[in-house]
Amino acid sequence: MMENDDQTYTLKLSNQLGELGRLQEALESLPETMDLPPTLVMPLNLAMEEAFTNIVNYAFDDDNPHTIEVSITKHERELVISIVDDGRPYNPTLKEDPDIDLPVEDRKIGGLGIFLIKKIMDDVAYRRENEKNILMLTKKLTQ
Amino acid sequence: MNVTRTNIDDYLVVGLQGRLDTIQADAVEKTMLEILDQEHTRIILDCKEMDYISSSGLRILLIVQKRMLAVSGTLKLCNLQPSIQEIFDISGFSMIFTILPDLKTALKD
Repeated sequence: MMENDDQTYTLKLSNQLGELGRLQEALESLPETMDLPPTLVMPLNLAMEEAFTNIVNYAFDDDNPHTIEVSITKHERELVISIVDDGRPYNPTLKEDPDIDLPVEDRKIGGLGIFLIKKIMDDVAYRRENEKNILMLTKKLTQ
Repeated sequence: MNVTRTNIDDYLVVGLQGRLDTIQADAVEKTMLEILDQEHTRIILDCKEMDYISSSGLRILLIVQKRMLAVSGTLKLCNLQPSIQEIFDISGFSMIFTILPDLKTALKD
């Protein structure tokens, strides 16, 4: 009998860039704990680094510690990652994409983070609920 | 991330080893600016051992490319791992850098 229960991995991170190391460790353990293809680790890490870094750098107007909660759930055909923070409302899906066809002279330095998330993931959704930003990133699993 | 520098022929070969992420970005940017300030006009970035890059890293590479262009210098990248090449493709960076399959090819010309 195959087991089809969804598996969830939850990680509570504080709003410091130093936490990226813990995020990386968690993602690197996924191929083993959730039986995911190792080739997924790098793109997932990238998408989550961009999302997490944006939150740490821009979401909070005070100097208080905040918790950013990351949940990774493996369903049968997709992996769903939610990132929840209690910072000020911000919907990254509304950010305009950079023009990646510009010649190097005209390319802007920076502004690629959210674009990379959208390109790597199959779906990116945002909602504001109970004073919290909830970002849902979905990656289809092909097997 | 470890950054190595080797002079080969008339190129400065800069080896990028490890992760070019948000955590490492400041230190790597400092090193790269230091290299640019030495006015090298022919630089190869050997990415053979670079196994991760995020937008913080791409940002640095774009700064280097813009600076090299401003002095009519030559910048080449080589040995990109497939996962890194993919990030270059989706960000449009494949089109703004000269990317060669290996160091030997990059040194030719």
